[in-house]
Amino acid sequence: MSQRSILKGAHVIDPLQGIDRITDVVINDGKIETVGPTKDDATTPVMDFSGHYLSPGWVDLHVHTYGTLGFADPDSLGVYQGVTTFVEAGGPGIGTIDEFLAVMTGLETSLYAGPFIRPMGLLGLNYIEGDVRSLGEVPITRWVDFAKQNRDMLRYLKCNAIGDYGPGTLQITKGLANILHLPLYMHIGEFQMQNPEHLLAYEAFKIAEKGDMITHLYHGNLGKVVDDEGKVFPVVWEAQKRGVLFDLGFGGYNFSWDVAEKSWAQGLVPETISSDLQQFNVVRPVKSLANVLSVMMRLGMTLQQVIERVTCNPAKALFLSDRAGSLKPGMPADITVFRVDSGEFELSDCYQKSRTAEKQVVPVVTFKNGRRIDVDLERAQDESNWFLQIAEDHIPAAAGRFTGRELSFLRALASGLDKTEWELGSGERLDIEKAIELQEVFHRVRHEQAMPLRDALFAVYDCFMDKRFTMQMGLFLFRLERPFALARLREIAGDAGIQSHAGSAQVIA
Amino acid sequence: MTEQAWHLLPGIHPETSKFPARTTLDNEGIIVFRTQQGFRGVQRTCPHMQSTLMAAELIANDTMLRCPMHIFTFKLSDGKGVNCPGFRLRVYEIKQEENALYGRSIG
Repeated sequence: MSQRSILKGAHVIDPLQGIDRITDVVINDGKIETVGPTKDDATTPVMDFSGHYLSPGWVDLHVHTYGTLGFADPDSLGVYQGVTTFVEAGGPGIGTIDEFLAVMTGLETSLYAGPFIRPMGLLGLNYIEGDVRSLGEVPITRWVDFAKQNRDMLRYLKCNAIGDYGPGTLQITKGLANILHLPLYMHIGEFQMQNPEHLLAYEAFKIAEKGDMITHLYHGNLGKVVDDEGKVFPVVWEAQKRGVLFDLGFGGYNFSWDVAEKSWAQGLVPETISSDLQQFNVVRPVKSLANVLSVMMRLGMTLQQVIERVTCNPAKALFLSDRAGSLKPGMPADITVFRVDSGEFELSDCYQKSRTAEKQVVPVVTFKNGRRIDVDLERAQDESNWFLQIAEDHIPAAAGRFTGRELSFLRALASGLDKTEWELGSGERLDIEKAIELQEVFHRVRHEQAMPLRDALFAVYDCFMDKRFTMQMGLFLFRLERPFALARLREIAGDAGIQSHAGSAQVIA
Repeated sequence: MTEQAWHLLPGIHPETSKFPARTTLDNEGIIVFRTQQGFRGVQRTCPHMQSTLMAAELIANDTMLRCPMHIFTFKLSDGKGVNCPGFRLRVYEIKQEENALYGRSIG
C-alpha cells in the first residue's frame, strides 16, 4: 500500500476545496498527497482518467446493509458503486447492535451505524413501525455505556415520524440523542395504507434542532412537505432556518417527481443525497446512488451541487470531515471516478412516474484508502444479493462444514426453542415480545455453550440460507415456521435427547 | 379442509387466450398464469400495495410469482411470501377440461 500513484487528466470536483477543473491527483500510502498539476516521473505509476470526472469518495448516509431490509453483499452498495462510506440507517437497535457489530466486519466500504430507537432495530417485513412509547423501552444506561465504547461507530440516532402514537417516540429519541450527543435522524412519510389521524411528519419538523436530519424530503405519501396546492408548509421552512438538515432518502416509497418538482420550484432542496437502498428497491427504482444523482440532476441540480451532497455535506452532517468528503492532502485516498453520459435516460420515481433525462452519472472506478476497485453495478443487482430465500428443500452446503462445537450449539438451540411456541401469522402487527423471546433463547444458549456471537449467528444463518443475509436473530427465527426450524436444526445437528446417536458431524457428512 | 367446488372461468380459453389473463372465479377477479406445470390462478393484486399482478414475473421454474413493484415474491403452491413473511397471495387451482378452464380455491 506504500505505492504512490498519479491519477491524471480527470476533471476534479472537490466542493469543499473549491476545485472544479481538469487536474491531477497524487495518492501515496493510501492517502491524498496533492491535487494539482503533477509531472510524471519514471517510477510513479500513472492512471489516465482523461474524459472522466473525479471526486472525493461518495458518502451514502442512508443504506440498509443489515437487517430484514439488508443485502448478502453489502459492499455491492458501497465501493462497487463508487460509495466509499455508508451508514446503516436503523437496522440495529441497542438490543441488537452487538449482533450487528459481530457480523458487519471485513467490509471494504467504511460502515457506520445510525441505530434505531427500538431495541430490536428496524422491523422491516412491512410491519408498522414507530411503536416505542415508553421510556421503559429505552435502556438509557445501556445506550450510554455502548456509546462510550463505540463512539466512532455511531453517527446518528434514527426514529420514524409515523404512525398513530403521538409525538412521544420523537421526543424520547430526541432526548436520547441529546444524551448521546448524536444527531437525530427522522424518517417522514406514512407507510403503505396507514392513515393516522394526526401526522407526525410535521412534529418531526418542530422537534428537530440544528444538525438534526429529516429524511425522505420528497416523498409522496401522507405527511408530505407540500400542501394540497403544492406549497411547502411553513413548518418545513422554519426547521430549515433553524439549521435542520434535509436528506433525500430516495428509497422504494420515498421519492415523488411531483413533490420534488414543486419543492424544487420553491427552493426547497436537500443538503444531502442518500439512496436508502434496500433489498426491495435495488432492482427498481433506486438501483444505485449514482442513479439517484442522475435523478437530482434531472430535477435541476448542477453536477457540482450533486457531488457536494454526496461528499462534503454528508461528511459534515456525520462529523466525518476528518476522514471523508474531500481530497485535502493527508485525507484517506477515498475517490470516485465517474462519467457523465449524454443521451436519453428514463428516470423513475417510486410512484411509476418517470422523466427523460439527458445526463446520466456512471461511476467507473473507486479508490478506497488508495486501493483501486473497478465499479461493478451488476453486483448489487444480482438476484442472490437481494432475494432472501430460506432453503426449505435442501440443507445449505455451509452446514456440512460445521464443527462439533457448532453442532452442539445448534442442538442446544433446538432444545431451547422447543420450549417456546411462535407463529409469524399475518397482518401488520408483529409480536415483538415473541421475537425478543426468541432472541433471548438464542443468546442464553450461546452463553451456555460459550459460543462466540459471530460464530453462533453464522451457524444459525448457515442452517437456513445458501447465502448469508445478516439480521437480528430474534426476527430471523421469528420469520421461520416453527416446525420447519426445529426439524432443520435437528436434521443438521441431531436431537439433544438422543445425543449419543446423533451428536456427531457424521449425521450431515 | 373442505373440498372447494370447481367453477367455469368465463372469458378465457386455454388455447386462444393470451396469458396471463384476467377472469373471475365465483365473482372474484383473478389472474390465470400459464406455467410449466399447467395453469395457476392468483388474486389480481399484490397483497403488499395492491399493484396489479398482470405484470408479475414467473420465476424459479414457474414455482414463484414476483410482483415487479417491490419484488415481493410468492410461492404458487400455497401463496406464501418467500421474501416477505407475513404476506400471502390467494392462489387458485386451475384445470383444463376440453376447451374450458375451471378454477377452485385452495383450502
